[in-house]
Amino acid sequence: MRPSHILFIIILLFVFVDSSLFIHSQKLKEELRSDEKIQKIAVAGLGLSDLCIATEARYTRHPAVSDSMAPFADHPGALEHFPTGSFWAVKPITSIR
Amino acid sequence: MSMIPKGLEKQFNVLDFSLSSLWRRKLKNLGIMLVFAVVIFLLGSFQMLTGALSNSAEAVLENTPEITIQKMSAGRQEAIPLAYKEKLRSIYGIRAVIPRIWGYYFDESNLANFTIMALESDSMPSGNQLHLTLTHGHFPKITEPGTAVIGRSVHDILGLGKRRIFSFFKPDLSLKSFEMVGLFDQSTDLLTNDLIVMNLADARELFAIPETMVTDLCIYVANPVEIETIAKKIALLLPDTRVLTKSQIQKTYQVVFSWRSGFASICLLTALVAFAILAWDKASGLSPEEKKEIGILKILGWETADILAVRFWESTLVSTFAFIIGCTAAYIHVAFFDASLLKPVMLGWSVIHPPFKLLPSVKVADLMLIFSFSVMPYLGATVIPAWRCSTVPPDSVIR
Repeated sequence: MRPSHILFIIILLFVFVDSSLFIHSQKLKEELRSDEKIQKIAVAGLGLSDLCIATEARYTRHPAVSDSMAPFADHPGALEHFPTGSFWAVKPITSIR
Repeated sequence: MSMIPKGLEKQFNVLDFSLSSLWRRKLKNLGIMLVFAVVIFLLGSFQMLTGALSNSAEAVLENTPEITIQKMSAGRQEAIPLAYKEKLRSIYGIRAVIPRIWGYYFDESNLANFTIMALESDSMPSGNQLHLTLTHGHFPKITEPGTAVIGRSVHDILGLGKRRIFSFFKPDLSLKSFEMVGLFDQSTDLLTNDLIVMNLADARELFAIPETMVTDLCIYVANPVEIETIAKKIALLLPDTRVLTKSQIQKTYQVVFSWRSGFASICLLTALVAFAILAWDKASGLSPEEKKEIGILKILGWETADILAVRFWESTLVSTFAFIIGCTAAYIHVAFFDASLLKPVMLGWSVIHPPFKLLPSVKVADLMLIFSFSVMPYLGATVIPAWRCSTVPPDSVIR
């Protein structure tokens, strides 16, 4: 067998793996769509503003309703020390006024 | 084989030659491919995970309160007087003002931080459908003091098992006990995992908040087009408050995990350093052995273009396979393994670990970005030295 034929078989293998992953993603999308309906009810009914990802600090548990200065508000010269605080970006300061 | 055009047949032969030459140095080439794939995997996982989270946030948070008002004092958020609700009556177009008490309860024995939420859910939009978010039970009724609905991680961390009663410390260290009357469903984990929902009076007692105060006010307007206008009016009427609109809240998650976040910088820097080392190694020239090989090929009658074609095939194969392996592994990592390598960075010291049931976000634009960051420089870094070498007279390199 020529080396290029072996390459062809390997490519076919990847095509197979990636197309099964694609089918998986379509199924997962359907599944998540039904979850989303219930999640929307929870958001509307409880007035939620954030995803529950990190729970360690209030400004990464609820970044949407937190002040960008919240990490440094504990005392003068306070340093940010929560890991998520240094990895997540700060949302832009937007003023209604 | 006679069916295949001559030019293509030549390319097939060149491909065969490149494959055998790659295989001759398999340890080195597989090693490069593996390192390369790991870097692409890291970038791909980051993009697929953060993309999935922002997509979920965008889809789910479209029903977030239209306007939220928080009171600010000395640069911090603090309790807002209920009397502000009366002041808002003068603004035309406000449909409902719903006071909420919410905050965090730090459970010292488990080091977990729970979110406590209290409001009259009957007056909220979709409030009558809220029972759909529970696996069993019902939401606390005003007539049932001391009851609560809890998220699944709260249930696990408190170790409730079949018990329904749990207690929390009030600020004066006396205990307040709650009866669990409902448990949030698995499908809402992304929002409610650490949540404890209770009656306003119970939250007031737990946090020792005076009767006249609440945490914030949610405002719903009659005409959604007027949200921004009404928000501006509120900001003028109540200058000591911060007014957040729905559109601001919805934008948050696109920013939090953007390419400018520290999270992204770590992934990108790692990738950049790896590529720099790789490119430097390649660009610093070919090994004497490789130079000798090129010289011999030239003496046998190969043209510069042929040698470049071999080099091109070799590096294309290594980098494209690394790209495919890296991206496939990234998808599997996010979809099937909960992005467990990146999760510690996302969660920090959090004790509550929400399961990530997410659809990895695979966008052509992101894949192209990773492709041009990785495959293109590699091609450049390998083909250029080969071209420089193949243009020198062969007898000088094999001697």
